Amino acid sequence: MLKILKFFLNIVIYAAIVGVIVWGLPKYLTKKLGTDYPIAAITSGSMWPALHIGDLVLIQAVSKEDLEVGDIIVWQNDKGFTIHRIAKLNENTLVTKGDGNFTEDAPVKYSDVIGRTVYRDGNPVRIPYMGYISVWSAKIKAN
Amino acid sequence: MKLSDKILAGVLIVIFLFIFYIALDANKYTAQVLAIEGAGKVGVNPTTERLDFGDLSPGTSAVRRVEIENGTAIPMYVAVVRFGSINDLMKLDKSFFVVPARTADEIEFTVYMPASAPIGEKLTGRVFIFKIPGPWSS
Repeated sequence: MLKILKFFLNIVIYAAIVGVIVWGLPKYLTKKLGTDYPIAAITSGSMWPALHIGDLVLIQAVSKEDLEVGDIIVWQNDKGFTIHRIAKLNENTLVTKGDGNFTEDAPVKYSDVIGRTVYRDGNPVRIPYMGYISVWSAKIKAN
Repeated sequence: MKLSDKILAGVLIVIFLFIFYIALDANKYTAQVLAIEGAGKVGVNPTTERLDFGDLSPGTSAVRRVEIENGTAIPMYVAVVRFGSINDLMKLDKSFFVVPARTADEIEFTVYMPASAPIGEKLTGRVFIFKIPGPWSS
């Protein structure tokens, strides 16, 4: 009887841990970083070598006044989200460019900016390989 | 030793030998590319021993092809695994596929040097092509 109780108690503990990670962590990060999209996966090599395919980066909300040239930002577009570096700041729009690209992106409205990557010691915080789930699901979706 | 233990040991030995054979039979390549200064410059190092993409300036690319020949009567499942700093720049036309019995197929590796290439740096990596025999359908 005790063995069965222990078995079910282990299941409850594991389920609680998974629940906290899957549900609680994004909720916590949303609150902490002030954005509905606190985590983003890198699915292309356009920001190489600063960001690699499969990286997971943290995004924090940022106001227009706090944006600077050189910041890596996430902005929303018709295709989804793009993570590129700010090349120019205009009055009503900003221009971004992928580090690995030769051309700049079309101007982006400030209202389309989701946030800026979280920095630590001057580099964007990235968790290698953790974004591969998004990369693979994007590939499956594309096929 | 009980009979069930002997059967289990036998099964484990067969599995180990199968994995050992696949690892031994895998095609193993060193991949490399050198990022050079300039525009539209490409230097080719012709060799069949390595996946050598030569010298590439930003904006240029190089392609290398590896032929996989299956001369056996059993279909082969091919899996390409790669590591190293070149990995982010290297694209494959396919990574997992089946080569039917007594046929051949080709894998195309493309390296594109982006604008942010670290000039003068040699990017390297390892590529393993595993061939797993089995009743695969293509």
